[in-house]
Amino acid sequence: MTPIEAALRTRGVVVCVGPGGVGKTTLSAALALQGGGLGRRSLVCTIDPARRLASALGLSELGNVARPIPQASLGAAGVQLIAPVEAMMLDMKQSWDELIAATATPEQRDRILANRFYQSLSTALAGSQEYIALEKLWELHSTRPGDLVVLDTPPTAHALDFLDAPSRVLEFLETDAARWFLAPALRGAQVGLKLVGLGGNLVGRTLSRIVGMQTLADLSAFLLAISGLNEGFRQRASSVRALLASETTTFLLVAGPAPERREEVVRFHAALRAQGLDVAAVVVNQVHAAVAAEDVARAGELPQPVRGKIEQTIEEASALAEADAHGVSAMGQAVSPTPVLTVPRFAGEVHDLGALWRAGAYLVAGAPRPDSPPPAPGEP
Amino acid sequence: MTQLLRKRLLVVTGKGGVGKSTVSAALALELARSGRRTLLCEVNAGGRATALLGHPPAGPALAHLEGELWSVDVRPSEAMREYVLQKIRFERVYRAVFENPLVRSFLRFIPSLPETVMLGKILWHLRQSEEDRPLWDAVVVDAPSTGHALTFLGVPEVLLRTLPPGTMAEEAEWMHRDLVDPAVTGTAVVSLPEELPILESLELGAGLRALHLALDAVVLNQATAPRFQAADLAALAGLPRLRALAASHVAEADRTRDAVERLGSLEVPVVALPRLYQGGMDRAGVEALGRALFSGLGGGA
Repeated sequence: MTPIEAALRTRGVVVCVGPGGVGKTTLSAALALQGGGLGRRSLVCTIDPARRLASALGLSELGNVARPIPQASLGAAGVQLIAPVEAMMLDMKQSWDELIAATATPEQRDRILANRFYQSLSTALAGSQEYIALEKLWELHSTRPGDLVVLDTPPTAHALDFLDAPSRVLEFLETDAARWFLAPALRGAQVGLKLVGLGGNLVGRTLSRIVGMQTLADLSAFLLAISGLNEGFRQRASSVRALLASETTTFLLVAGPAPERREEVVRFHAALRAQGLDVAAVVVNQVHAAVAAEDVARAGELPQPVRGKIEQTIEEASALAEADAHGVSAMGQAVSPTPVLTVPRFAGEVHDLGALWRAGAYLVAGAPRPDSPPPAPGEP
Repeated sequence: MTQLLRKRLLVVTGKGGVGKSTVSAALALELARSGRRTLLCEVNAGGRATALLGHPPAGPALAHLEGELWSVDVRPSEAMREYVLQKIRFERVYRAVFENPLVRSFLRFIPSLPETVMLGKILWHLRQSEEDRPLWDAVVVDAPSTGHALTFLGVPEVLLRTLPPGTMAEEAEWMHRDLVDPAVTGTAVVSLPEELPILESLELGAGLRALHLALDAVVLNQATAPRFQAADLAALAGLPRLRALAASHVAEADRTRDAVERLGSLEVPVVALPRLYQGGMDRAGVEALGRALFSGLGGGA
């Protein structure tokens, strides 16, 4: 069994991670389809898919609602599933609101949602998108026992942003640091003394000169509002971490063939392994295919002007294929023993279900060896 | 000459993976070669753009690269330190307060603080002067990708809207003035002839305008010029694999044409940079793209 087939047959959760712009969302959807093809009830949770991909999956809006991929589109694309496949688009803001609602009392919830620091927690705090995606994953996995959940993740520049997301967010909520020197301010606010305590120490005085007194006051109010939430959050965050590290979860690291980002992917891989997480494979997407020698010979027999044009095109395609083959092989060495799989660059973009199915089939069929180029792709 | 080249602050942004660093490096190199003293600013990107130029990756300290070209990687912690030291002037107080690990973690919770100090540092460079004239003729910013770029560039406006008068609001005010001055600041959106980057570029262009920033150019990276005509494809009818190769070239040229047309709706010049057939970007590639970019923007004419 190939690594991807094994993952789709035996795991409950497949998390697709990697830099932006390499086709993570597309491959996530392709894998869920293959899951359905192998007889697993599957769900793909996507983040910000291209409009055409979303509509191919039968999604027209955000909203955290899973919908079955329309039978009609599957039929039209000639895709035969054994088990149903659903898709959903993650709505970050709504997921955060739901999480607050699930962990706070109603009165506490209203105060939190209204505070401007909550906005920064749910949108601007580094790692909050990654955190909420993982939190949603845990919820989806626990409500769908036995199913396969494929999670697409936000493009993350730095691996550690992703892996640290739960602890960073927890740190935010624990706020021991903030309480330590805001304590006088909190007391001051409570008795209406307007931060008198804060002015009294060097830290508070200096900070207020930099960020402004009002900012500190607002932050104090927010910290008061969220106090008591920690326990609920901590429990959920540790469940998320346990799920990621468990046997049921595997990661797929998606990369492009360009050498500029290879280091980043290699570091990401090392970071995943260092945390004891399972990486099923590194997938190099959009690899250029080599032109067969036979075709090069044929091109030489053509009349001008088409001969010159096709020879130039072959030369360009070969340069790209050679560079990609080199990149794939370098990746293979850098992440060994994790298998490196390739998906050829399809002519045209992979948006319709037929193309998604083909891309997924390449992965399930397993890897051509790094030194042998992938088979030439067909037209879209 | 198009508007972008007249600006002193040139902000390059776009979707992740479209080639922002390459375009920033190429633009900075050409500006410097045209005799303008140029600073290439990366925003916590680890020196990717300078590495593309064949120089050691930029660090947080200003570095001379070549000729009229300098670089710096603006990082939040160093920018914070510089900013605070400007305000409180005492290294000892800085160390006591800001190097306290508890304070450091607390500072992360203050929304927009890292963006404010990083943007502040970039705009401070823009205002640096030497003998009554600006030190930098051009500051090229390799800005973060779409969503982060809008957050980053929108920081002064958000602060002005939400902050009561005070130190940070004053900072926001002067930063905002420079950013929205179309005589000072211009933006370029980098795109690719693919569905998602095009859509994102259109949204980004609208987003920049909503922040009252001047959008001056769209750079379409990896463009393909038409090569095959219908007669050529007909001549390949008996050779399906070669025909498929030609057809995929035709499809790429079509996508380029379609991209130029759709990006044209932003009503600024769209400069197409040819796709380079090499594995990864290097100095020679950046130079080739720089020449195409500069002539597309009407520089040197």
